[in-house]
Amino acid sequence: MTKAVAVNNLRKSFNQTEVFQDFSLDIEEGKITAIFGPNGSGKSTLLNILSGIIPKDGGNYHIENFNHFQFSYIFQNYRESLLPWRTNFENVALPLQIQGKTKSEIKERVEKLQKLFEFKINWDHYPYELSGGQQQIVAFMRALITEPNVLFIDEPFSALDYENNLRLREHLQKYYLTFKPTILLITHNIEEAVHLADKIVVLSKKPTQTLETIENPLPYPRSLQSLKTEQFHQVKDKVLTAFQKAANL
Amino acid sequence: MRKYSFIGPIVLIAVWAIVARLHLVDSFFLPDPFETISELGRLLIKGSIIPDLLATLGRVMISFMIALVIGLPLGLWLGRSEKLYRSFEFIIDFFRSTPATAMFPLFLLVFGVTDTSKIAVAAFSSMLIIVFNTAYGVMHAKKSRVLAAKIMGATKAQIFRWILFWESLPQTFIGLRSSVSLSLVVIVVTEMFIGTPTGIGRRIIDSQITYEIKTMYAAILLAGIIGYLLNLLLLAFEKKVLHWNGK
Repeated sequence: MTKAVAVNNLRKSFNQTEVFQDFSLDIEEGKITAIFGPNGSGKSTLLNILSGIIPKDGGNYHIENFNHFQFSYIFQNYRESLLPWRTNFENVALPLQIQGKTKSEIKERVEKLQKLFEFKINWDHYPYELSGGQQQIVAFMRALITEPNVLFIDEPFSALDYENNLRLREHLQKYYLTFKPTILLITHNIEEAVHLADKIVVLSKKPTQTLETIENPLPYPRSLQSLKTEQFHQVKDKVLTAFQKAANL
Repeated sequence: MRKYSFIGPIVLIAVWAIVARLHLVDSFFLPDPFETISELGRLLIKGSIIPDLLATLGRVMISFMIALVIGLPLGLWLGRSEKLYRSFEFIIDFFRSTPATAMFPLFLLVFGVTDTSKIAVAAFSSMLIIVFNTAYGVMHAKKSRVLAAKIMGATKAQIFRWILFWESLPQTFIGLRSSVSLSLVVIVVTEMFIGTPTGIGRRIIDSQITYEIKTMYAAILLAGIIGYLLNLLLLAFEKKVLHWNGK
């Protein structure tokens, strides 16, 4: 396998609480890897360390060909990461503006992504005029507009109702199949993990270790129908069994 | 909700009218509100108070503009770094807490008995309010948005221009409104001292000395109306610029 992200013997603690102690993990290039684990297992901390937001205490990590312009991170709290003074269009365009792209290039790229998402809103309006689900889609599009090689997603669906949740999963799959980025997805929800990921990494409680990595052979695109198949349930059962161990349930 | 905003002025005038008509206060010192209002109307129509109005308004506008042009960039610059702001914090807070009018004699020494000294002291004190509020707005910007932009690879200048500047605006506008009010206060007070034949402050003190109490009240009322309207004007501008605030 080609590694896109490698974590070796990572150490991190907060006020004497050890979150990571010799934690290692490899993420395969061009795949969706879901990270699944009990609350407080340091899932968000991991993404924050990898993206340079918080410092590590020891060990090392490496993201292949890391470059800010080819990397995106979708935060859990989309309401605080969208810019309310910018229109929806300007929000999606922000990363390209940062990269110094020309107006016509920005317009072209945004239109291309709009087509892929088939997402109809008034682009000259502001995020506060949209529903929570629509705002999350705008936040997604903002992260994807740069066509990143590596994409971190922290519980993107947790604030959405089920319908919007399913819709966004479909968009994400469509994007993934078109551009094949490496995606690291944190989720609380087994169904989401099994629906989207090639691999599901189940983490233990603190100090965090990888308990099990479960391969998910279901073929893409995974329709809603695939959620009802026997194969889906088998993978889901495996993840649940691993999680039971993790959470001592 | 708008209709409720009329309750305040009605109550004020009603209380004033009751106190005046029941002669709770000597009518020499407190004329009837309607007489005062019609006196103000007469002064405006006759035009005798217009030069005072224009002089005061002009001084306020000039000092506010100076405060804005210096204070806004200074506040944005200081707010960029908490260390930088903390280094200047004492100076800003000290002069912000010193009554501006206490410094007027000093400004008279430097600028002479001219309009310049009045405008300078008003501009100085209201500038500090703009600096303080703008810097605070920048320093207290939501970290999550700055972080998101950093991850996108934004430079410091881009973060400042596209995120921090906008984040600071709500607090900046609070500063602007306090600053224009303070400008008016300082200008009116300094007009009462020396160095000008025109201005609402001059008019108030002159009519007090000559016991034209009705004119004095009319001029006070005019000063209040100006302050209120300036505030309202800024508020309307704020609503337009900050349509996104709190959403």
